[in-house]
Amino acid sequence: MTDREEKNNRINVDQDEKEDANLVTASAGDVETIPVAQQTVRTILRRLAELVFLLLFVSTLLFFLLRLTGDPAAILAGETGDQEQLELIRKQYGFDKPLYVQYGVFLMKMLVLDFGTSLANAQDALGLVFERLPTSFTLVLIAFTANLIISIPLGAWLGSRPDRTGRKLGSTGVFILQGIPGYITGLILIQVFSVELRWLPSIGNQGPESWIMPAITLASFQAPQVIRVISANVSEAMREDYIRTARANGAGFNTLLWRHALKNAMLGATALIGAQVSFLIGGSIITEVIFAWPGLGRLLVTSVTTLDFPVVQAAVFVISVFVYLSITATDLAFIFIDPRLRRQRA
Amino acid sequence: MTLQTEIESRVSSGLDNEVILSVQDVVVQFPRPKKKTPFNAVNGVSFELRKGETLGLVGESGSGKSMTALSLLGLVPIPGKIIEGSINLRERRIDNLPINMLRKVRGNDLGMVFQDPMTGLNPVRNIGSQLCESVIRHQKVSKSEATEIAFKALDDVGIPSARDRLEAFPHELSGGLRQRVMIALALINHPEVIIADEATTALDATIQAQILDLFRERLSNATMILITHDMGVAAEICDRIAVMYAGRIVETGTIEEVLSSPRHPYTMGLLSAVPRFDIRRPKLVPIPGQPPTAEDIVQGCAFSSRCKFTQENCAERPLLKKRDNRLVACWFPKGEV
Ligand SMILES: Nc1ncnc2c1ncn2[C@@H]1O[C@H](COP(=O)(O)OP(=O)(O)OP(=O)(O)O)[C@@H](O)[C@H]1O
Ligand code: SF4
Ligand SMILES: [Mg+2]
Repeated sequence: MTDREEKNNRINVDQDEKEDANLVTASAGDVETIPVAQQTVRTILRRLAELVFLLLFVSTLLFFLLRLTGDPAAILAGETGDQEQLELIRKQYGFDKPLYVQYGVFLMKMLVLDFGTSLANAQDALGLVFERLPTSFTLVLIAFTANLIISIPLGAWLGSRPDRTGRKLGSTGVFILQGIPGYITGLILIQVFSVELRWLPSIGNQGPESWIMPAITLASFQAPQVIRVISANVSEAMREDYIRTARANGAGFNTLLWRHALKNAMLGATALIGAQVSFLIGGSIITEVIFAWPGLGRLLVTSVTTLDFPVVQAAVFVISVFVYLSITATDLAFIFIDPRLRRQRA
Repeated sequence: MTLQTEIESRVSSGLDNEVILSVQDVVVQFPRPKKKTPFNAVNGVSFELRKGETLGLVGESGSGKSMTALSLLGLVPIPGKIIEGSINLRERRIDNLPINMLRKVRGNDLGMVFQDPMTGLNPVRNIGSQLCESVIRHQKVSKSEATEIAFKALDDVGIPSARDRLEAFPHELSGGLRQRVMIALALINHPEVIIADEATTALDATIQAQILDLFRERLSNATMILITHDMGVAAEICDRIAVMYAGRIVETGTIEEVLSSPRHPYTMGLLSAVPRFDIRRPKLVPIPGQPPTAEDIVQGCAFSSRCKFTQENCAERPLLKKRDNRLVACWFPKGEV
């Protein structure tokens, strides 16, 4: 039933029983909703279908691109390899077969998550990817958490002060920050804290000290937007009627901001924050390269430059799955945060 | 004689109860940009509200009804503020309270019902938590006691299966139910005075009638200020009525006095086009011309540009004074028409 029908229905009911003051019955006052569980399942299935299509598309594209730009047998044979060796390798790996046959084999194997072995060191490609996963995950998680812990309160605070100089300074600062590309932030940090001050290590994962700069760099991909959206949403929410209602009931500034405005502001920001987790995954590739962080992103970049296509395929596969996990998590967060989305849509 | 003594000297609509709320010469001013003269949205309003009495504030859009109501709670929107006058709740002056004291008055001594129930409740918090928040703020009760109070409050305003509604979110309720929730919220801490600003305007006619019934039944003994565009609503609910024009009260009296024999030309205008057969629900009808805006600096009677009876005297502002045994701000109050 659409909203309009619902409303008409209500009006009709009311007019039929005009004289009855207590006619507001349960059915007239309620709006139908779909159970959360059902929506959750629907969302997951829809995203899963999208993911399958995406994986098929991306890996096909990669397959042909990589095959057309380089000869895998030459890479395997190395610089010393002669013609005979090349032939041997081609036969062994099936590179002598027509491309479409190779593609078919590739797809069949991908179905069972077999991406083959690395051309560089003969290790299982997927295994290599999984090996790097925890390192990348640590970085993304630290950056994401740090970002939310800083951006949400800061954005809320800026947004709650529409006419003070603090807010103006703050938003100017955010604006400038937003203009600086993430890799520049990384390079500046290295220059200041590693080269000049010698406080922090600039490469690799050597414990908590070495997490700071990569995490800041990665967070800077996401933080300015989050701060801006939260602050815009909070400042809008603070002008809403329900804020006036709460104020008329004696609510103080903190209640208004943290208990009334922020939750509404978070609604609009959830989509952005969720979508940006996938930016973070993208940003982590750049960050890992800058800081020589031994993660998935750096593995991907190295494999692309060496045309190690089994590893490239495996890495892209895993990254895509994570991007989709983050998108799906965003959808689900919406269902739980926004009670209005639980409402039936005809 | 001052305005105050004028009002005090008057026996209010047969009610000799104690004065609960006393508003004296309140001016609410909005500064205007570029050094223009500031605009007084409320321009010296005085009235008294006695226990158990319902006062209707009527007048055209922009006449300052809402600003008068908001000034009582210290909720005049920035950059506006009360620059003159005083507001007393019983013996206590409340217009100059520090903000933390004022918050104890809001929702506790004065309860307000706003116009739009669709936007007046927080969409992402359930009804129960919004009610409990106010209960816990003003009463020393536990969470579970507050929930019980919230349930009773909903039940009390005629919300069916009230216990389940505590869990409901605003969008799950119809407009009529939401307005009942808003009323429950305003009443939940048993405020001494209830202020309802166009509480039924946003609702369709039949729901409006139900909410009015609720006011009549549940709030017949409440001390209340009811703001409305609708003379019919005022006639049904109010004991007394104050007609506002351009930030001032231009006429006040018992509902019978004002409706059956309006003295101010503006009040007459408001009532004149009411069809006889529908006398129970007369509506405000447009009077030719526009009320003065912030741009117009009116020296004399603010209604003079639209008044049929303007004379030379009207260049000087008429105060709200007892004239012809009625309180009216006009040099030439009309007799029975
Ligand atoms: N934030 C503001 N800034 C400047 N002027 C304002 C502001 N809010 C209200 N006003 C002015 O104050 C005057 C009184 O407004 P108010 O809302 O009290 O009118 P009202 O009688 O309640 O009208 P309505 O019937 O439309 O609700 C209006 O002329 C309006 O232009
Ligand atoms: S004072 Fe004069 S202009 Fe004003 S309402 Fe009375 S008659 Fe009309
Ligand atoms: Mg108003």
